[in-house]
Amino acid sequence: MTDKIMIALKSIGKNKNRNFLTMLGIIIGIASVICILAIGDGFTHTVTKGMGSHDTRNKVTLQWESTSDYNTDGGFTANDASVLSKVPGVDRVKLASSIVEAGAKVQYKTKNISIGLNKQPKHLKLVKGTYFNMTGSSNGVYISEDLAHKLFKENAINRLISIDGTVFVVQGIYHIGDMNYRPDAYVSKQVFKDLFANQISKDQAKLYVQPNANKKQIGRTAVKRMKKMGEQKNIGKYSVSNPDAISKQFTRVLNDITYFIAFIAGISLLIAGIGVMNVMYITVSERRKEIGIRRAFGATSGDIRNQFLIESVVLCVIGGIIGIILGYILVAIINAFLPFKAVITAYALILSLSVSTAVGLIFGFIPSNKAAKSELVGLLKEE
Amino acid sequence: MLKVTDIGKTYGKFTVLQNIDLEVADGEFLAIMGPSGSGKSTLINILGLLDQSYTGEYLLESKSYKDVNDNELSQIRGDQLGFVFQNFKLLTTYNVYENIEIPLIYSKKKQSKKHEMVEDVIEKVGLTGKEKNRPAELSGGQQQRVAIARAIVNRPKLIIADEPTGALDSKTSKEIMEIFTKLNQAGTTIIMVTHDSEVANYAMRTVYIRDGRLYNDEKSVKNHD
Repeated sequence: MTDKIMIALKSIGKNKNRNFLTMLGIIIGIASVICILAIGDGFTHTVTKGMGSHDTRNKVTLQWESTSDYNTDGGFTANDASVLSKVPGVDRVKLASSIVEAGAKVQYKTKNISIGLNKQPKHLKLVKGTYFNMTGSSNGVYISEDLAHKLFKENAINRLISIDGTVFVVQGIYHIGDMNYRPDAYVSKQVFKDLFANQISKDQAKLYVQPNANKKQIGRTAVKRMKKMGEQKNIGKYSVSNPDAISKQFTRVLNDITYFIAFIAGISLLIAGIGVMNVMYITVSERRKEIGIRRAFGATSGDIRNQFLIESVVLCVIGGIIGIILGYILVAIINAFLPFKAVITAYALILSLSVSTAVGLIFGFIPSNKAAKSELVGLLKEE
Repeated sequence: MLKVTDIGKTYGKFTVLQNIDLEVADGEFLAIMGPSGSGKSTLINILGLLDQSYTGEYLLESKSYKDVNDNELSQIRGDQLGFVFQNFKLLTTYNVYENIEIPLIYSKKKQSKKHEMVEDVIEKVGLTGKEKNRPAELSGGQQQRVAIARAIVNRPKLIIADEPTGALDSKTSKEIMEIFTKLNQAGTTIIMVTHDSEVANYAMRTVYIRDGRLYNDEKSVKNHD
């Protein structure tokens, strides 16, 4: 085989310019394949790394959504949870909420305002008052600037307000920036848990499933059971929520782009292949004498076919290797302008070399076959 | 060695060869003489298993090679036959060594053995030191020596030579014919086509071909006319 490759290299070397021009199509085609794959792989890598925090491997999340425009409260109850835990394949069920704050009513004198309320965070920048972590059943409250303005025209610190019938003292006022989201009021952790947490409807049920369980099947069964037995089936609907959906859609768009560019690369490789076919036809007709001599001295038609096929493949693989090198250079240049890093994977290299080999085989076959099938007596008349 | 009976060949309505009967014994050196257009080359292509479109019977070493497949023919050509062509038919981009090596590429011998065989024939035809030269750097006589070396490198039983001195001057022709004589003396059967009676004199026996018919001596050719 090595000597056959050497023969091929030799005859390719004899027409360097012509063969280089033929290779150009392959070089460009392969370089673009390398670039597309590098960008695609780099992008996918970045996106999936970013999504890695959402561990969805052994979890199915059910979602409850209100069907009423007026009353959006509702979700999964403890009874629902026990029904869900009996779905085959489910280990345990945890109810959760997509809503983080509780709804409450604030009253100050005659003013009545509906607000969103949460437990206090560790740190909070105040515009008025001092911030500390309130302990136990402290009746302190931090309110937003906006709420303070609505309730009291002037100084709000140390004023008493009623939240759902309980009296709180305003400890401080914070600003909500345009880009931030904060509730209207913060109370201590303990108070939030005691008075408000149970108001938050559990609209999510997280089903932790056994390893290798069929998540789709479990999701379907769980939804079916909830539709039958869910305690709030009349005011809402149940569905399987899919956190992968967004990334999937994203990947789909990316794939579409990749397919499109791959299509263009395919066309350039097709044209390159036709170039290879053309140059192989020329080679075969230039070397009729050689074919005749080889045939007279024992080469079978198969030997001749292989010789030219190997030559065609070697030509394309050389083009492919140059294309890969060019691809590396292009990717390095592209990386200077991309917000993420394009990566060349082993798969891309293997694919490129396979594609080059395939182009050589496919487009070299007909000319090689022509060489193999030529009539010997005619070949030996060539000078 | 070789026996053909009632060989005929036509191109359309034109008859090139007819009723050719020829037997060549082991170790014989046969010359086939005839003017151009007499059918010499066509006959030699058939004898050398290069042309399979003919009628009649062909036996090489008592085995019929009519209607055998192409691969088998290639193998027989590679193993048992050696060709020397009029215009040398060397590959101009290959050096002497590479040209001579060609028949060995298609034989299943060890690389070291092949090398030994090539070096051996280079010495035999007196081209030692010219291994790396391209054909264009050699004289006509030297080129034909390369062609002879290529023909004998795989140690064939039968050499088929088509006008081996056709492109050479008389002095060089003589040198080449001496090589053929030596090969024949060493046991190789040779069939040579020539139109030069001086060259034909090196052969043990000469047959004549005219208008596609074979005659055993010059007299019978004339009688036919």
